[in-house]
Amino acid sequence: MNKYQLYKLLRKNEDLKNKRHPMFDKNRFMKFLMVFMWLYYAAILIFMGVTMAIGMKGAYNGVAAFHVLDGWFPIVLLVDFWIRFVMQDTPVNQAKPYTLLPIRRSFLMHTYLIRSGFSLGNLYWGFMLVPFGLIAIAVPFGWIKFCGWLLGWWLLCIANGFSYLFVRTLLTKHMAWLSLPIVIHGAIIAMMFVPEHNWLDMPCTVLLNAFANWKVLYIIAVIAIIAFLYYANFLLQNTMVYNEISKKEEVEVKNTAKMSFLNRYGRLGEYLKLEVRMRTRNKTPKMQFAMGIGFMLFFSLIMYFTDAYDGGFMKSFICLYNYIFLGLTTLIGVMCHEGNYIDGLMSRRESIYQLLRAKYYFNSLLLIIPPLIMLPLMIAGKMSVWMNLGYLFFTVGVIYPILFQMAVYNKDTFPLNQKITGKQGNTMQQIISMVILFIPIGIEKLATLALGDPWGYILLMCLGIVGVTTHKMWLKNIYHRFMVRRYINMEGFRATRNS
Amino acid sequence: MNIIIRNLKKNFGEKVAVNIDSFDIHSGEILGLVGNNGAGKSTLFRLILDLIKADEGTVHMSSAQTDINVAETEEWKDWTGAYVDDSFLIDYLTPDEYFQFIARICGKNPEDLQQFLDKFQHFMADEILGQKKLIRNLSAGNKQKVGIMAAMLLHPQILILDEPFNFLDPSSQSAIKHLLKKYNEETKATILVSSHNLQHTVDICPRIALLEHGVIIRDIDNSNGQAQRELEDYFEIND
Repeated sequence: MNKYQLYKLLRKNEDLKNKRHPMFDKNRFMKFLMVFMWLYYAAILIFMGVTMAIGMKGAYNGVAAFHVLDGWFPIVLLVDFWIRFVMQDTPVNQAKPYTLLPIRRSFLMHTYLIRSGFSLGNLYWGFMLVPFGLIAIAVPFGWIKFCGWLLGWWLLCIANGFSYLFVRTLLTKHMAWLSLPIVIHGAIIAMMFVPEHNWLDMPCTVLLNAFANWKVLYIIAVIAIIAFLYYANFLLQNTMVYNEISKKEEVEVKNTAKMSFLNRYGRLGEYLKLEVRMRTRNKTPKMQFAMGIGFMLFFSLIMYFTDAYDGGFMKSFICLYNYIFLGLTTLIGVMCHEGNYIDGLMSRRESIYQLLRAKYYFNSLLLIIPPLIMLPLMIAGKMSVWMNLGYLFFTVGVIYPILFQMAVYNKDTFPLNQKITGKQGNTMQQIISMVILFIPIGIEKLATLALGDPWGYILLMCLGIVGVTTHKMWLKNIYHRFMVRRYINMEGFRATRNS
Repeated sequence: MNIIIRNLKKNFGEKVAVNIDSFDIHSGEILGLVGNNGAGKSTLFRLILDLIKADEGTVHMSSAQTDINVAETEEWKDWTGAYVDDSFLIDYLTPDEYFQFIARICGKNPEDLQQFLDKFQHFMADEILGQKKLIRNLSAGNKQKVGIMAAMLLHPQILILDEPFNFLDPSSQSAIKHLLKKYNEETKATILVSSHNLQHTVDICPRIALLEHGVIIRDIDNSNGQAQRELEDYFEIND
């Protein structure tokens, strides 16, 4: 078998892996939803491209529309970078099944890195950029400029993809590496939003304008950066795959706190201990928690030091987001981590009910963190106390009950301690996440419009209090529905364990 | 506690995994389940434990006081202990924490737990308790020991162990055989054990069911150890 044939075989296996994923294999509706969501986001991007091209035309004192967009391209790349966490796997993970086969490791790494570079995902932003460029560049300035400009964006997306792979692979070594993109991206955002004029506007515009004008030196420079990132990834992935094969787990447990104070709560107390240990001893939940705190701090700091998010909607969005983020990241996949030991749980009486209760109390307790982080914003008058109280109660009493419904339907086991994200989360979970992000703001805005300022938040509070006081009832209901669906769910958990 | 199986059927696609018209396991019996790979031993255990849905039929657990269908209530979980595979283990706990967890949710107090662990000191061989190791970092054999012990921890009236001798070193295999026999003698519990090791099965099980393609093709009396020859002939071990 020559190298090309081997490459084709690896590509075929990768395609089969995606196609035969247990989540989609027997679920035509899920397949349909995936295609639907793909088209939906594409349509949003096309809409954004067209409206921005028309809206920016002549809106900035004669500056060409594409120069305006180019000035903000770091934001697109930042969004692109973080979205990759839920979409893109690392070559280390992809190569792992082949590491003991007689295939050169370097060949595997090159194969997967090249596939990452030329992945169609790097062209997804094209849904926004092509219509934008057609209107704002091709028509007024010609096709050659348009093609050059598009090439520039594509190369920058590839470079961004390789940066992501580098960070993502380092994260499997230690979570502290997350601070690398947070610091860099924080600095970029600070340079764009803190000064009166965006400091990155000029260099970004110059760079993409150079592509539009096919300035070879700039193109070579960006390709050289890609080559550098490619090589850095190659070295890192090569080392990491070796570490994966000869992996030695940390054997001594550091955290062996007995949490005896929970003993007084009987069986519930034991499930609470279990929840705490699950969150503190496994890489995936620890990472989710760290990311949650990171995002909260990030947005709160921007809000505190800039006026970027001073609009009413953005204030509400950030406040709500800070309250729901920790719960959303874990509860949207509620029971998915337990899929790893579902048979053990199911062989104990009413264990799922106690587990759900423990999860509810634990996640409710975590809501102490957001108001502490947002306290300076409240003191500075950038956010009202009513808003915080409204979203706090709404989260614990309405959003959590909605998220807990997923316990009835989730049937994919998530790895506890292997990777940070991978393909975690199906389309149903994504849709619920979207609903949860925007419905409360809608309710609050409508109530505020109808009743005046604090009443929107008071309504949210009242709705939340109803949910809190009836929590045992709706948790019991979820538990009963889970038991009705138990065979389907257990089969799903077993099928997706270690997949 | 008796286990009453009636008209139990489970197919995976075209493949018949379990097809048992009628089979009773009597209270206080140790039943050995043997069969080739894919015979349906684990599937039968999972059906008895209500972990998969039967296409047809029922599994009842009954005694003089009670008779329940396992698919209709969770009551039987109070008197049933099982270890089928490592999906029964919560691997981010240490064995000490795992035993405490199981003991507490089953209503055992710390003294009961300590007494129980004392009985297993020899079996654990100083490699399980007090190691500050998570279950996921234990060897396969030690994980197996933790699973078996956790299944026995609530002093079940029905104990179900799928291939309990797997991964265990010879002295642990011998130890678990003695522990199971002793447990059966002391508690009169009903014990179901599946194994590919015919010798161990014959040693501890007075009754052995031979399962092939989901069907119990022989119900062998082994009260005097006479099943050895029949099983060896069936599996063509001496050819």
